[in-house]
Amino acid sequence: MQVSVKLFGGLRQYLPTGSAFNSCVLTVPDDSILTDVLSLLPIPEDKAFIALLNDVKLDKEAYADTLVSASDAIVLLPPIKGG
Amino acid sequence: MSWHKQILRVNLTEGSCKIEPLNMEWANDYLGQRGLGSKYLFEEMDPSADALSPENKVIFATGPVTGTLASTSGRYSVITKGALTDAIACSNSGGKFGAELKFAGYDLLIIEGESEKPVYLHIEDDKVELCDASEVWGKTVWETEAILGKKYSDPLMRFASIGQAGENLCRYACVVNDLHRAAGRSGVGTIMGAKKIKTIAVRGTKGVKSPDPAGFFKLATEVNARMNDRDEMSRDGTLPMIDVTNSFGALPTRNNRSVRFEGTEKINAEAMHTPNANGHTNIVTNGACFGCTIGCGRICKIDPTHFSIKDKPQYHGASGGLEYETAYALGAACGVDDIDAATYVGFLCNEYGMDPISLGGTIAAAMELFDIGAISEKDTGGIKLEFGSAEALCAIGEITARNEGFGADIAMGSKRLCEKYGHPDLSMSVKGQEFAAYDGRGMQGMGLAYATSNRGACHLRADPYEHDFESTDVEGKALVVRDSQNEVAFIDSSGLCLFPGGCGWTINDYLELVNASCETEWTVDDVQTVGERIWNIERLFNIKAGLGRKDDTLPKRILEEPADVGTAKGLVCKLGDMLPEYYQLRGWNEEGEPTADTMNRLGL
Repeated sequence: MQVSVKLFGGLRQYLPTGSAFNSCVLTVPDDSILTDVLSLLPIPEDKAFIALLNDVKLDKEAYADTLVSASDAIVLLPPIKGG
Repeated sequence: MSWHKQILRVNLTEGSCKIEPLNMEWANDYLGQRGLGSKYLFEEMDPSADALSPENKVIFATGPVTGTLASTSGRYSVITKGALTDAIACSNSGGKFGAELKFAGYDLLIIEGESEKPVYLHIEDDKVELCDASEVWGKTVWETEAILGKKYSDPLMRFASIGQAGENLCRYACVVNDLHRAAGRSGVGTIMGAKKIKTIAVRGTKGVKSPDPAGFFKLATEVNARMNDRDEMSRDGTLPMIDVTNSFGALPTRNNRSVRFEGTEKINAEAMHTPNANGHTNIVTNGACFGCTIGCGRICKIDPTHFSIKDKPQYHGASGGLEYETAYALGAACGVDDIDAATYVGFLCNEYGMDPISLGGTIAAAMELFDIGAISEKDTGGIKLEFGSAEALCAIGEITARNEGFGADIAMGSKRLCEKYGHPDLSMSVKGQEFAAYDGRGMQGMGLAYATSNRGACHLRADPYEHDFESTDVEGKALVVRDSQNEVAFIDSSGLCLFPGGCGWTINDYLELVNASCETEWTVDDVQTVGERIWNIERLFNIKAGLGRKDDTLPKRILEEPADVGTAKGLVCKLGDMLPEYYQLRGWNEEGEPTADTMNRLGL
């Protein structure tokens, strides 16, 4: 199946080449978990980010237990400060 | 140490200018800039005096690191009793003015009294004079800099001015320096207008003497290298935040009716970089303040065919463009997704000297009043003040800048406007100051930070961002808000900018630069103590001005109407669950007053 992921701020540098401004479509097997989706993006392990799945913020520990589907909205946000 | 140990005191009533020694005991207790300026204001004026009266003072304060080789050392603050809030006001600006004031030999400039006729202050090192301002009174900030710049023919002379908004006592007039940097919030420019002082023109040749120049150069270079995550801020400024808060569900939209704006992609960083249908690109380049190695400033051009400026060639050049806060206030808050319209009204704010956050927040409140029928086109002078109307935004911006018709109502700020038209709950403000670009339902810690901010709603008085994006659970937020308020108060008093903190610096980097400038050996614990002392002296000023627990609150909408979408969908701000713990952590009683133990511990 194909899932759409949006990355904002400095995380956009980890989008696959040829992606739109802030989003990409990734191909993963059915019944994939969020960790499978994230593994397709070259985000360094020590890079902090916040993951939202359908407007719900997920704890990092939940990534491996979270099944994704083609209709899901996955958003990755950098923990930036305000100005 | 990097202090000149001198104050310049200007009494407008007497027409006198005197040089005095800096109180070094206070500088040791309160550092500089925000802290030291607040201490002087607290000691020298009756906080209950009318903000617009001659009893109020305006203090331009540099920090010990201002004007040094350290990155981002261009900061200064304007401290006074705010015209918008009737609370202590401290507005922080960058550009090059603050460093130039320090180069002239002054750590602080205190302006008191009230002039009979408009004047400006001309400083060239020890030569200080009050001059007749009739040639620039009634002129914009930009015209003023051009006229006086030509008169003195010194390209290194720096100006901090008010525009017509300050002269007309718009409640959120700001002090603009270097054409588009501003001490923007709380109406500090209004007080200059009330005192009839138009501009501070300064040129300094004394520099700043470090105790150990070679050692400081080495340290500044090392600390600068630790700012290792700055590329995004150089490219996009603060604008990436709009995508974050919008996705999270914390972007105040249409006067906080919603927390998500459907038009964000038309006013975000990418929109600024992307050519429009005419091939016009909004951003021209980035800009930096004195000594800055980030360069977050946006230098932008409006599409010359845009309706707002097509017959106004004076706006066809490049100037200070949208940042996150202005994109929110002149965009999402009003439901406007027109980047050129928002940029144009931002230009007007710099030109006429208005705070774009409060202007946008007040226009948003007026749009809601219009929407519910509390005001009509009869009140607005024929302007159809509908949410989303870029035409209305521009028209209202223009008449407010010139104080014409309904613009005089908008110039009062949202609190006074909404009270006048019978709907005080529709002002999205705290202590009379309009919200910044964060909603206290999606960001609960920010809700507490707004409610307890000594200068009214403000996003730069605490740093709850990481905690808020981690969880909407209020547990632990009171402590995060208190500690970060103290830390921010320390940084705001140093002469350095807050933004390196988002680009790789920790508090230890700031501390090293301050210690090297002040010949101190302060630790992170001292940062908390000095910051806490600053926070409490501001609080004491406000208590004497008549503010208290009743003012540490949020609008009914944020406390009672659940967020409509996002991570906080269904939530209100749980301020009542956080405030008692916050008071306890602060060492305050239930009324929000510092206890005797707290006063003694901090030497207040």
